[in-house]
Amino acid sequence: MIIGIDVGGTYTDAVLLKQEQVLEKIKTPTIPDDLLTSLLKALEPLLKAAKNNQIDRIVFSTTLITNLIATGNIDPVALVLIPGPGLNPNTYNFNIPDTFILSGAIDYRGREIEPLKEKEIKECLEAVRARGIKRVAIVGKFSQRNKNHEEAVASYFKQHAPEIQTVMGHQVSGRLNFPRRVVTSLLTLATQNRFQEFYSQIQKVLAQRGITAPIYILKADGGTLPFAQAFLKPVETIFSGPAASTLGVLALTPSGQTSVVLDIGGTTTDLALILSGKPLLASRGARINNHLTHVRAFATKSVALGGDSVVQVGPDSSLEILPQRAGAAYCLGGPQPTPTDAMRVAGLITIGDEKRAREAMNKLGSKLKLPAEQTAALIIELMVKRIAREINEMFLAWEEEPAYRIWELLQKQKIRPQNVVGIGASAPAILPLLGKEMGCRALVPPYAEVANAIGAALAKVTLRLTFHFDTERNFYFIEETGVQEKLGVKGQLSLADAEEMAFKWLRQEGEKLGIPPGEEPELVYSEMFNMVRGWTTTGRLYDICVQFPPGILEDWLERREQNA
Amino acid sequence: MPEKTGLVFFPAFDWAISPTHPEREERLLYTKDQLFEEGIMDLPEICEYKARLATFKDIARVHFCVPEIRAQVTEAHLIAAGGTLVLADALMNKEIKNGFALVRPPGHHAMRVVHGNRGFCNINNEAIMIEYLRKKYGIRKIAIVDTDVHHGDGTQDIYYHDPDVLFISFHQDGRTLYPGSGFTHELGGPRAFGATINIPLPPGTTDEGIHYVLEELVLPVLDDFQPELIVNSAGQDNHYTDPLANMRFTAQGYARLNARLKPDLAVLEGGYAIESALPYVNTGIVLAMAGLDYSYVREPDYRKENFIQPPEKMVYIKELVEYLKEIWKNRTSLGQQKQFHEGDFYEQKRSIYYDTDHIREQQWEQIRLCKTCPGYQMITSRGMYPYGTTRTIFAVAIPWQACLNCQEEARGYYQERIKNPQGLDFVYLQDKPHDIYYQFFVEKDCEIQIE
Repeated sequence: MIIGIDVGGTYTDAVLLKQEQVLEKIKTPTIPDDLLTSLLKALEPLLKAAKNNQIDRIVFSTTLITNLIATGNIDPVALVLIPGPGLNPNTYNFNIPDTFILSGAIDYRGREIEPLKEKEIKECLEAVRARGIKRVAIVGKFSQRNKNHEEAVASYFKQHAPEIQTVMGHQVSGRLNFPRRVVTSLLTLATQNRFQEFYSQIQKVLAQRGITAPIYILKADGGTLPFAQAFLKPVETIFSGPAASTLGVLALTPSGQTSVVLDIGGTTTDLALILSGKPLLASRGARINNHLTHVRAFATKSVALGGDSVVQVGPDSSLEILPQRAGAAYCLGGPQPTPTDAMRVAGLITIGDEKRAREAMNKLGSKLKLPAEQTAALIIELMVKRIAREINEMFLAWEEEPAYRIWELLQKQKIRPQNVVGIGASAPAILPLLGKEMGCRALVPPYAEVANAIGAALAKVTLRLTFHFDTERNFYFIEETGVQEKLGVKGQLSLADAEEMAFKWLRQEGEKLGIPPGEEPELVYSEMFNMVRGWTTTGRLYDICVQFPPGILEDWLERREQNA
Repeated sequence: MPEKTGLVFFPAFDWAISPTHPEREERLLYTKDQLFEEGIMDLPEICEYKARLATFKDIARVHFCVPEIRAQVTEAHLIAAGGTLVLADALMNKEIKNGFALVRPPGHHAMRVVHGNRGFCNINNEAIMIEYLRKKYGIRKIAIVDTDVHHGDGTQDIYYHDPDVLFISFHQDGRTLYPGSGFTHELGGPRAFGATINIPLPPGTTDEGIHYVLEELVLPVLDDFQPELIVNSAGQDNHYTDPLANMRFTAQGYARLNARLKPDLAVLEGGYAIESALPYVNTGIVLAMAGLDYSYVREPDYRKENFIQPPEKMVYIKELVEYLKEIWKNRTSLGQQKQFHEGDFYEQKRSIYYDTDHIREQQWEQIRLCKTCPGYQMITSRGMYPYGTTRTIFAVAIPWQACLNCQEEARGYYQERIKNPQGLDFVYLQDKPHDIYYQFFVEKDCEIQIE
């Protein structure tokens, strides 16, 4: 049996699954500022329903980190940067008053082009101490290609001030983009202790209930991570909500198709894309609190349009849906007319007081000289058209993403969805109309109201490793783990050898995370560059990425196919 | 006013002339590393665009390709040229204040007639962009400043008879470097005298020398000419580490040049010091165009004391600048004195060598000397290919400024030759006033309109 719990901003959803069946589902309001209680409130009934059967795994998706960062409730961190030549480091706006800049530089091949100055490190540590700083993120440009400078600074700190907690940029992310690495390192260090506290609490309450099942946490890229490991990079668990609902849709709809996932809530409609059965990841890392990071996340779009959005008659005597919510829908006792009232009048939903809904429509309709029914129909049409436009723009944005290779540029053809899949309260009312508008199939899957919990429950453990081999300099590094090692191969390493090495690493690391040995990894890309100096080839660069991709547990999919 | 600098980055990581050729996959790899690691694409001052494919018509607006366009271009060429068009549109739509197309393959050695690849170029990205801008947005006067170390002979050829395109190229003296042209006497055709300016610099010229040329000659001339747009043909091989040339320009020098020149659009050309120069030079140019501080950009081995201009070189450069300033000042009267030729046509013969493809070309060019417009051009060209084959073409080019008489006459010559094409393999008509481009295949006796 599997338990999935998604602690969202408004609701906490939870499911208990046994094979392909949903044994129990819970939806309960999230208690603000008390995630643990919210979680337990959802968990208790599930444990009861599970009776004494064995729980194989529990997966959480939480807004813990999102909330901590949004409320600024994180630990203060100082920055020690080794930027080297390039952009003036003051151009970056990290908003960290305690920023120290050190001499020293590494180039794009990982060669030291300017040494560190020990005197500066010493002075930096003195200043850090004088200001009473307890946490320091040490980040250098191109540190992913040579970690020596970061390590030298970190070990100096460790030796002379062991009480100071440090994190090094190359451990956090090896992707190119120094400012994003700085922000991601900052957030990692600023949330680590809080995350650890949360983890200990959960362990305690589960232990009290005699549960020994492995606990996983969902990441923004739709993969799960053993809870204990998430401590290293807690920031990766941010925005797991949209990932949970997308995976839920993946679990509940036919496989291999291209779908738009819509979560139509009260205030917003959240969109995500599934292309040929694969959730689309954002090409660059997530934006957190207006800072760009290296956190891999699903490509999602949040549109300020929901069932509770305020509807009014604009200055040019036409209806407009405002991007804000004033409270509940009028038919549910709220202050202003909303799309929900329109749906009620149109007979698309049955919640709320019909008389009040009609009253709301008449209020608007009188200004337009239209009866309530027609006003309602206009509002619904407006909403459907707007969502359809946002969906098209999302596909367009995907098509317009820069491409750096000929094949990449040529292959991005116009793709449009086969399905629109809706979850959330207003989905059943809106989806059929949206499907008609967009000329594709509209689906509201069973258990749509807890799809995110199902997504969390069934999410696979994922692992992605991106290798960069430099045969001339005889070294390689792995972006995600911070590993930088000598190649130690006699003669020239071939591309096939390099790929084999990458898969071997992936299997090894996968095993540590509990990925079953039978799981098939995939090659995301593999590129070779001849390094020619003068007119002879002096070495090769290989960029290889391998992964266990995000997805739904195979068992579930197989059984679902069988049942269908 | 738009605030952003537009970038199209198309490094064509899957395209090369040959695996060890300087124009290969690896060329912009370290530039990518540097730009991406700096986080350039995330800066609020920068807006990145995706390249698109140029159409055959975009190419036919500039070139006569032999035997046909598809034989001269790969998808990479179409994307590199198309990348410049994306920025042209963004600029004209006021989405960006300026733009830099970091694309390959390059283009400035590609002339109007294309028998093959010259100096790593098949089609001329700048010219394709400029003709697109003129057609689509009605831009008339444009200045091109070619800062590649090699003479931009292709661009010069395309605009040699166009009085509305000012072409300025500074480069290492042609007596010491490919393509062996770009001397001070190359000043434009009879109806465009002075609209071509060449500044051949001695090998070893440093930032100081180039900035002297910029401040004393290039900027004042641009000020006089008053172009609607300035295009930088941004080669980076004046850099002191370039393996194919011998100049002493630095990343700081290139950045400051762009800060002063303020090009509306820049298009990458050559530059083959792919590790020691390109990552730094490109970062410098992007920052300068975006109005950001570029003073922290420097090469790892840069030492100020190694870049002092020897006084005798400075004397030479100053004399050169004085000489060209005089010509620029008196260009109208000099142009009249040098009427070149009495009669209806000015004619010139020349031979052109295609270093990459080992093709020799003989060209006979006729320019109609019209009293009211810049006249049309007729080109007879024979390409002599390795292994002894040849192809001969006749091409008529009607510029967009042509008067109705000249247009009529030129179309007549084209019609005449397709009726009587002896000795020719292909006949072309580039009718810019109508934006229509024809190619007649003699052997197949068929005419196509290029779309």
